[in-house]
Order: sequence, then C-alpha cells, then structure tokens
Amino acid sequence: MITLTHFLVVSACIFCIGLYTVIAKRNAIMILIGIELMINAAILNFVAFSKYDKINYGGQVFALFAIVLAAASVAVGLAIILNVYRHYKTINPDNITDLRD
Amino acid sequence: MNLEVFLFYAFAVLAIGSALLVVSLKNTARALFLFFITLFSMAGLFLFALADFVAITQIMVYVGGVLILMIFAFMLSNKELLADLQNISGSFISLPNWQSLLLALGFFAVILLGLKEWNNDMPDWMLSNIKSGDIISPNDNNIHQLGIKFMTQYVLPFEVISIFLLMALIGAAHLSRKEDTQ
Amino acid sequence: MNYLLNISPIVASMLVVLLPFLAFLMQALLGKKFTSGIFSLVAIVLSTILSGLFVFAEVWNATPLQADYSWFTIGEKTFCFGILLNNLTVLMQFIVCIIALPVHIYSKSYMKGDAGIHRYWMYLSLFCFAMLGLTISKNLLMMYIFWELVGFASYLLIGFWFTKESAVQANKKAFLINRIGDLGFLIGLAILFSTFGTLDLVEILGKDGLLFQEVIDHNSGLITGAGICFFLGAMAKSAQFPLHLWLPDAMEGPTSVSSLIHAATMVAAGVFLLSSIFPLFNCTVLLIIAIIGTITAITAAIFALGQYDIKKILAFSTISQLGYMMVAVSIGAWDAGMFHLATHAFFKCLLFLSAGAVIHEMAHLKAHTHQDFDPQDLRNMGGLRQYMPKTFLLMSLASLALAGFPLTSGFLSKDAIVISAFEWALQQGDLYLVVPIILVLVSILTAFYIGRLIFKAFFGTLRVNADHAHLHDAPKTMLIPMAFLGICSLFIIFSWNPFSYANAAILNVLVVNYTFPEIHFLHTIVPVTLTASALLSWWIGYNWYVKGKYPLNASSSWIHLAQNQFGMNEWMMKTFVSPTVKLGKISFWFDKYIVDGLVNGASYLIKQLSGLITWIDKYIVDGIVNAVAYLAYELGNALRFVQNGRLQNYLGFTLTMVLIGIIYLILK
Repeated sequence: MITLTHFLVVSACIFCIGLYTVIAKRNAIMILIGIELMINAAILNFVAFSKYDKINYGGQVFALFAIVLAAASVAVGLAIILNVYRHYKTINPDNITDLRD
Repeated sequence: MNLEVFLFYAFAVLAIGSALLVVSLKNTARALFLFFITLFSMAGLFLFALADFVAITQIMVYVGGVLILMIFAFMLSNKELLADLQNISGSFISLPNWQSLLLALGFFAVILLGLKEWNNDMPDWMLSNIKSGDIISPNDNNIHQLGIKFMTQYVLPFEVISIFLLMALIGAAHLSRKEDTQ
Repeated sequence: MNYLLNISPIVASMLVVLLPFLAFLMQALLGKKFTSGIFSLVAIVLSTILSGLFVFAEVWNATPLQADYSWFTIGEKTFCFGILLNNLTVLMQFIVCIIALPVHIYSKSYMKGDAGIHRYWMYLSLFCFAMLGLTISKNLLMMYIFWELVGFASYLLIGFWFTKESAVQANKKAFLINRIGDLGFLIGLAILFSTFGTLDLVEILGKDGLLFQEVIDHNSGLITGAGICFFLGAMAKSAQFPLHLWLPDAMEGPTSVSSLIHAATMVAAGVFLLSSIFPLFNCTVLLIIAIIGTITAITAAIFALGQYDIKKILAFSTISQLGYMMVAVSIGAWDAGMFHLATHAFFKCLLFLSAGAVIHEMAHLKAHTHQDFDPQDLRNMGGLRQYMPKTFLLMSLASLALAGFPLTSGFLSKDAIVISAFEWALQQGDLYLVVPIILVLVSILTAFYIGRLIFKAFFGTLRVNADHAHLHDAPKTMLIPMAFLGICSLFIIFSWNPFSYANAAILNVLVVNYTFPEIHFLHTIVPVTLTASALLSWWIGYNWYVKGKYPLNASSSWIHLAQNQFGMNEWMMKTFVSPTVKLGKISFWFDKYIVDGLVNGASYLIKQLSGLITWIDKYIVDGIVNAVAYLAYELGNALRFVQNGRLQNYLGFTLTMVLIGIIYLILK
C-alpha cells in the first residue's frame, strides 16, 4: 500500500536535492534545473494530496498551473541567462558580482 | 510486496538517484540529459498519485518544452559547452560543497521531522473526505472532471495564467532578441 | 559753607586718617616722576587743620564720642571698626598732626635732590596714615593692625637708603625686635578676647566696662599676663630696656624721619597704648613697668654720655625720656606721662631737626671740601655757633627744655613726673624711693649730656678745615618749622604759669585720680634741685668741653663702656643672635634632610604609584577599550565577505537563517 507519507518523503528528497543544486552549482543553467527540481517536488505534493480531494480537484488543478508557471519561468530565465552570457561572456554566477559592496 | 509498490519504489529510486546524479555530474551536458530521466520518473510517480493528466502534462511541457529550451540555451552559451566538452580529463563527479550539503540535509531533517509530527493528526478535510469516500479512485475519469473544474470553479485562475503565459512569452522573446543598436 | 563747617568730629577724624592714605596712594600711583611731595604736604596740612578745628577743638574737654561700623563676624562675635574720640585720643592725634606738619615742610628742603624722594613721600604718608589711625582706634584689633603698619612704615624708612649695608642691618634689627613686642601685643589681644569676648576698648575699659563687672579677678594671673604682654608690645615700640637696641641703629634713616618717627610719635605709641589701657594693669604689672622704666631711663642716659654720633646721643636721650614716661604711667600718673609725651615730642623733634640742619651743613662741607669725615660725629664739629646762629639758638632752647630748665615746657612735664614719683614712693615705702632718686640722677645726666652736645658742636672752633663761605644757616623751609617747634617748646603753650605744672591744660583735662597724697613742699624743692643740678652740670660741662679742662682720659674704659652701651649689643649677639643662627642652621639641616627627605620620599612613592597606574591605564583600561574596538572591527571585517555580490551566497544565508528560525520554533 502506497501511503501519503511515501510521496512526501520522496518529494522531500527531491526538494533538498534541488535546494543543494541551487546553492552549490556554478552554472546558471544548473541553477535553473535545481529550481525545476524543487517545483517538481512541490507538484508531487500537490498531486499526492489531491488524491483525497475528489470534490474540488484542487491539487491537480494547481499542479497544472504550477507546471505552466514553471515553464514560463524557465523561458524567461533562459532568456535572462542568454542576455547575461552575452554581456559577461560567462554563465557562472560566481563571476557575476556586480551586487558586491 | 505487490507489483504496484515495487514500481513505486523503483520510480522513486530512479527519480532520486537520477536527481543526485544530475547534481553530482561535472558535465552540464550530461546533467541536462540525465534531467530527462528525473522528469520522466517524476511523471511516473504522479501516476501513482492517480493524476494521469498531470503526468502527461509533465512529460509534454517539461520534456517537450523546458528541456529542449535548456539544451538550446546551453548550446547558445557555446564557450561553456566547449569547456565542458573538453573537460574529460578531470573527475567524473564533483565533490559536494559541504556548506550547501549541510544546509540541504538540515532542511531534509526538518521536513522529515515535520512529516513525523504531521502523521499523527491529519487535517480535518482529509479525515472527512476519507470518511465520506470522496477520494479519487483509479477508475475515475480525471480528465473529464478537470475540464469541468477549469471551466467552472477555476476559471479565474485559468484566465490569469493564460495572460501570464502570454506575458512570459512576449517577455522572453523581447529579452532574447539581438540588440539592434550594437 | 555752613554745612561744610559742621562736619562731625567722627567724620573729621576719619578724614584726618584717610587723607594721608590718599596721598600715599597717589604718590604710589604716580611713582618716580613725581618728586615734589605735594600730595603728602597737602594731605598733612588738611589733616592738621581738620584735626585741630573739627576734632581737637570739638572733643577736647567735652563729651567723648564714639562710632562703630560693623567690620566682620566670627561665629557670634561681630567686630567693629570703631572710632573713639576722647581727650586722650584727640590729644594724641593732634600731637601727631602738629609734629608731622613741620617735619613734612622741613623734609621738603632737607630731602631735596635725593634719588628716592618719591619713595620718601610715599612712606611718610603711609606712616602718617597708620599713626593717625592708631590714635583713634576703638577696637584693639584695629589698633594692632595700625600698630603693625606703623612698624612697617618705620622699617621702610629706616632702610630708606637701602644701598647702605648698615641701614639694611638696622632696619632688619628694628623689625625683628619689634616682632617680639608685636607678639606680646598679639598674645595680650588673645588673652583679652578669650576672657572678655570682645576687643572693644570702651566695652572692656569703659566706665562700666567688663573689667569692672567682676568677670574676672583684677589681680588674677591672666590679667597680669595680659598686662605684661601689652607692656612687652609697648616695650619694643617705645624702646625700653632691653628691647631698646633697635632705636640707636634706627638713626640710619633720614634725620627728618628720625625726628618724626623715632623721637616724637611712633616710639611714644607705647606710652599711648599703656595710657589707653591703663585700667587693665594691676599692681604687679605696674611695678614691672616702673622697674623697666627706671632702668631704661638711667642706662640710656649713661649710654648717651659716651656717644660721639650726634643722632645717637639724641636717640639715647629719647629712650631715656621714654623711660620717664613709663615710670609716670606705672605710678598711675599717666596724665603726667602724656604731658611729658606732648612736650617731649616738640622739643625732641626740634632737637632732631636742628641736628639734621647741622648734619646737612657738615655733609655739604664734606662734599665741597672733598674731605673724608663723618658729618654726624661730634668730634668733627665745634664753633658752629658763628656760622649757624639761628640753629644754635633753637637747639639751645630745645636742650633747655630737655634738661628741664624753667620757662620751658620740659620743666613742667619733667617736674610733674619726678614730683609724682616722689609722692608715690613716699606713700609706698622706703625702697620705692630708689625710683625717684634715679629719676633725679637721670635728669642731671640728661642736662650734662645735652650740654656736652651743645658745647662740643657750637662752641670752640671747628675741628675740620672749613672754607667759611660754605657754612651758613639752614634754608627758610627748614628754619620755619624749627622755629615753630621752638615756640611750642616754651611753657606758654601748655600752661600760663611757668613754674607750676598744676595749671597745665593737659593735666587739668586728663583727670586722673592719684592714689597718693600731694606733698606740697616737694613742689618747690624738686624743681629747685633739678634746676640747680642742671646748672651745675652745665658749668662742669662748659669747663670740660669749652675751656678744655677735661679731666678724664678719652680712652678710659668707662667711656668705652658707655659708648658701647655696656657691651649690650655684643652680649645680645652672643646670647640670642648666635644661638638663633645656630638653631636656624639646625632647622635648615632638619628641613633639608628630614622634612625634604620625607617630602621627596613621598613624592618618589607617588611617582612610582602613578607609574603603576599609568601602566594599568595603558595596558588594562586602554587594552579593554582597544579590544572592544578590535573585536568590532574584526567582526565587521569577518562579516564583510557576506556582502560579496554572489546571489547563491545570499540565498544560502537566507535559507540558513530560515532553517535556524525553524529549528528555533521546533525547539521552543
């Protein structure tokens, strides 16, 4: 029997991996991947909970919304990354330190 | 252990393992292709949560759109690509950054702790739905139901998302165009 | 005008005192360039007029006046500076004025051309201020202040020619000896204050003063002590034996100063003080005064015999006459003492001024003929009668007065004292007769030594080479004051009867109840004896000095003894000065090695301690402060790397904080 907890644990694992990716990776595209992982973990949660909500289908509906938003964000993010690359000739965020004091 | 549980675990291990590999690989190109595996196995996991439409959407949007987009972007930043393709002499897997690892593990521990606490009392709406039998069964026609919900109950978010998508489309196109002035 | 003429005696007396002070201030402010002394002259003229017309004439033989002005308060005692105007004080003030005036005029020409003349006028005015203030003080503390000021002015004037070593020594000596007396005065003040709680003359000694209210037994040791202390003060100021040593040396000052301060006024202040506080003295003190007075009179007269310095003879004569006055006070006839003080002031002042004129001429002679001799030495004089007849006349007149010749004022006052002394002695008993007999002897000696002075200076022939043109009488500005004093030395100023002191105005006004009965035959026999003996001594003197039948060898040991004042100076030097110097040396050693050692040790200790504190301050206190600053700096520096512009780091920190927050919430 697959319980809710199974999904949640898997989702937690994916989320933490995504988190690690966002912080640790030295590549803007990999950071984007990390964000996608985290969003996927969230979607998994939505979907898992949605199993108990037949009346509203809230979880699944919003999982779909989230997928759409993630896609949009990826599109915009990649556009930004391309601009950054054009400007700095690199996509390693360590080398882009214009926010430094 | 029946087949269903075995498959679930298989998908879970596949998703987590491939995600870990994505993170660990030094080569961004390889990581990007490995990310397919993760997304696919995630879609498989959605199926186990009885969300077939979401799983399909996941494959269509991510695998069909997002990933292709990413590979395009990766290839457009050609300097990185060259560096990555040439970088075959070094180690295959990068060592984890320990501060980030610590932070991730900390979050993981906190989430697990939360899960453990939460298991003991479920929210009221779940309990009442379980009691009244209003839970999704494998035989339900989800796509039909979702279509109705989108056009009735969730019509406002649906429209907002549509506008939002349009904005993102225009924005992304604007951002990525060549500057005329240069 | 009418209003001006109606100033009250109190205000007038204050003006009398303050005018010379004003002159002193003006002279002090104007300084060197102002040499005419016009301020001092004008001040003393005004003072004399005021004193004569508005104080003396108003108060003399009338009701005494007094005024109090609150001065300062110690605890519950308020001190007033008061003015007391009674017969005694106004008389004294008037005498001071009337003597000071001619001396000022005389000084105008006597001191002409002196380099320090501006100082001279300044000091002279200061002296007048102090002396006039002294006379009318009601409060003994105030009197003490003026007493000290008088001494100070005297000190300045003795050392007026301060480039002369002897003058400096003399003023030092005068100052030190006067200090002894002042200490006595001060102790007396302390005793009176502790006994009566006030220093007001009227409150203590007035008609129903504290002294008569049986606050304390009049014969008690405390009162005796106070009396002796006050007498000690008077002794030093009035040059009584053995504190008289300073007065002969004080002759180092200008002669005009000697005449005013060291003959007529300041030295008489002691007598004045004793007269003012006369009721305070009991039998014991009076006896001591009598003994000291007698000894002073006789020793000074003997010393005068052996002197050659014309001013020193006069100085010893002054001491001797002051002894007379002391005796008069001691036998209770202080009115006679004051009478003698008044008459003595005039003729002794005249003597000094005449001597000054003589010295002036001798000094001129010395300067003109380029000879080296002492212009004050009698042995260099002689025959001056021919050159300075007016001076001779006036000086003779003063000498007659000093010797107590009939028709002079001295005759009256001296007789008053001698006769009173006889009457007192006869009442007291046989042994007391020594006092009047010595007084008679002194009188004879006085006649002899003053005769010797006159004969040696004015008769015979001049003993130094003289170009006749250079010797002449003193100028008018000097002669007129002298003539004025000469007139004042005659009997007529004091009494219309030239042969009896009973009619003397001063004695009639200063009513004193004698404790002894009047014995009539003495009033005839004593004057006759005195005059006869004076005549006899003059005859001898004339034979000795003018006719040259001198019986004694000039180098006889007796004369030497007298000249050296029986070796008193040397004895004093040996007994007091050397041990004092030794004590001073020991004290110096003690001060240098022990006291200074202690101080230096303490300072060394403190220095070390401060060094320690500096170390603590530098390394511990400053260290803490620096450590805090360093910590803040390092912390800031350590946190600086956070702001490195890397988005991932920012995100990492944000998430770390979130994680910490969640953990905190869980643990809570």
